[in-house]
Amino acid sequence: MVRKLNKNEEKIAIASLSAFLLIAVILSLLLGSVFISPGELLGSEILWQIRLPRVLLAALIGLLLSISGVMLQGILRNPLADPYILGISAGGAVGAAISIALGAQFVIFGISSVPATAFIFSLIAVFVVYKLSQVGGRTAPETLILAGVAFSAFASAILSFIIIVSGSLQAIYFWLLGSLSAASWGNVLTVIPYALVGAGVAYFFSKELNALLLGEEMAITLGVNVENTRLILLGAASLMAAAAVSVSGLIGFVGLIIPHWIRLVIGPNHRLLIPVAALSGMLLMVVADTISRTILSPMEIPIGIIMALVGAPFFLYLLRRRRLEGK
Amino acid sequence: MSILKIENLVCGYNPKKPVLKDLSFSVDEGQFVGIVGPNGSGKTTLLRAIIGLLSRDAGSIVIGHHRIENLDRRELARRVAFVPQLMEPVDGFTVEELVLLGRTPYFNRFSFENEDDHDAAAWAIEELKLGDLKDRPTTDLSGGEFQRVAIARALAQEPRILLLDEPTSHLDIRFQVNICKLLRKLRSHRSIIATFHDLNLASRFCSKLILLKNGEMIASGKPDEVVTPQNIWKAYRIKVSVRNNPRTKKAKYVLLP
Repeated sequence: MVRKLNKNEEKIAIASLSAFLLIAVILSLLLGSVFISPGELLGSEILWQIRLPRVLLAALIGLLLSISGVMLQGILRNPLADPYILGISAGGAVGAAISIALGAQFVIFGISSVPATAFIFSLIAVFVVYKLSQVGGRTAPETLILAGVAFSAFASAILSFIIIVSGSLQAIYFWLLGSLSAASWGNVLTVIPYALVGAGVAYFFSKELNALLLGEEMAITLGVNVENTRLILLGAASLMAAAAVSVSGLIGFVGLIIPHWIRLVIGPNHRLLIPVAALSGMLLMVVADTISRTILSPMEIPIGIIMALVGAPFFLYLLRRRRLEGK
Repeated sequence: MSILKIENLVCGYNPKKPVLKDLSFSVDEGQFVGIVGPNGSGKTTLLRAIIGLLSRDAGSIVIGHHRIENLDRRELARRVAFVPQLMEPVDGFTVEELVLLGRTPYFNRFSFENEDDHDAAAWAIEELKLGDLKDRPTTDLSGGEFQRVAIARALAQEPRILLLDEPTSHLDIRFQVNICKLLRKLRSHRSIIATFHDLNLASRFCSKLILLKNGEMIASGKPDEVVTPQNIWKAYRIKVSVRNNPRTKKAKYVLLP
């Protein structure tokens, strides 16, 4: 059962999540395939050039995907919505696959070819889906979701075709599973603006997202411009997800489950849901990434596998407990 | 003083087949207006036009001193609030949080609810006697309790006009009377317009009735002027006799055998 937090408890929840995040970041910096004592670590290249950018990138991806998921579930009023529902993953995958298959080597604005093509194709995908689902200047959420699903099916057919004719199955498959192994300061700096601006947009639109909890028509009678809100939040959520996909491939689970998870615990008030989901998404990604690179070290397990293996049973437990208490 | 003035209103979902045909009336401050009429007569359509969910094909709607087309969504939401026939509770929201949603038209982009908003919500909760329930999850309430929450949410908008679509249709008779009494009390400083199926209930509590049929007004005025055997025959094709309740002096129809 959702328990209503009072103002003090809200502050404590946010403060303790931030503290956990800080501890997780420090532990993650200490752990790795090479053991380095904390004293030596401060002066080592491994900390500054490898571990720190990777931990920061993990946290940023966690924020991007969880907030993107919160926004999409809110505006589409659909619990199955996630950052990938409008074809971002499918578009990004086709972009990355083309780039890998062609062995393209170019750099735009300091971004290398695979992330750049993945980013561009993700946004093309969302744009096509959005345009296809527009009827008479209006977009119904159901049409949007169905168009996203249909477009994804189409794009995954293209993806399979590319994989088969190119023979780069392994490279493409690894990209699809998602990984942070390509983390660099360049990647971190590329996604930071998306994370900051996106989180700000989400937070300052939380009153619209709250009004939408009552349904689209009620939100209109509360003075919300539903069409504009939807367009702005769709744009922000898509840019956030596309940025995440371009640097880390298809990391599943965070964007779908974190919003649900947090809603089950603290309720759907977006004013609190957004900061708590952002912190939780960051925490989950940092912890999962640490596990993924240390548990079978030096081998790395794709982070999406770790997250689903640990997170899915825990989520099911929460869901069942909630249903049982509801009875 | 008139709060709402509707002139020659034509609207509907298809311009070739308007639901409301040339409707005109006005509502004064302090009035509790009941919109009655058979299914499909345009009662809900009328409310949707006043709240701006439905655009007009012709005619004018004036709210206070403003024509509806000159008010933006937020300005309209500060003047007119709407309680739909069935509002869904919000899973995970308490009564107080849901009532606070009624303050949405007063929030600024970069700020959240302030003292005024909490005061307005507290006042609305008090008016609807929800004080004991304010921390309860909205999903735990009975139909009658939740209907009060829905009205409190609309009242927190501090509207000049409160619109309710069949506020009593899914409540038992105790809550029907309960809600109507509350509404009658709330009409001072604003006006209330509600659609009803139950003519006797509407006649008992409303200060004015408007009887619609096929999108046209076939009678309007004080309840005993509207609830007459002739009007009911015209609207519903049902034969009734009408008596005055000796205590309330309100017109009340009784079906003829």
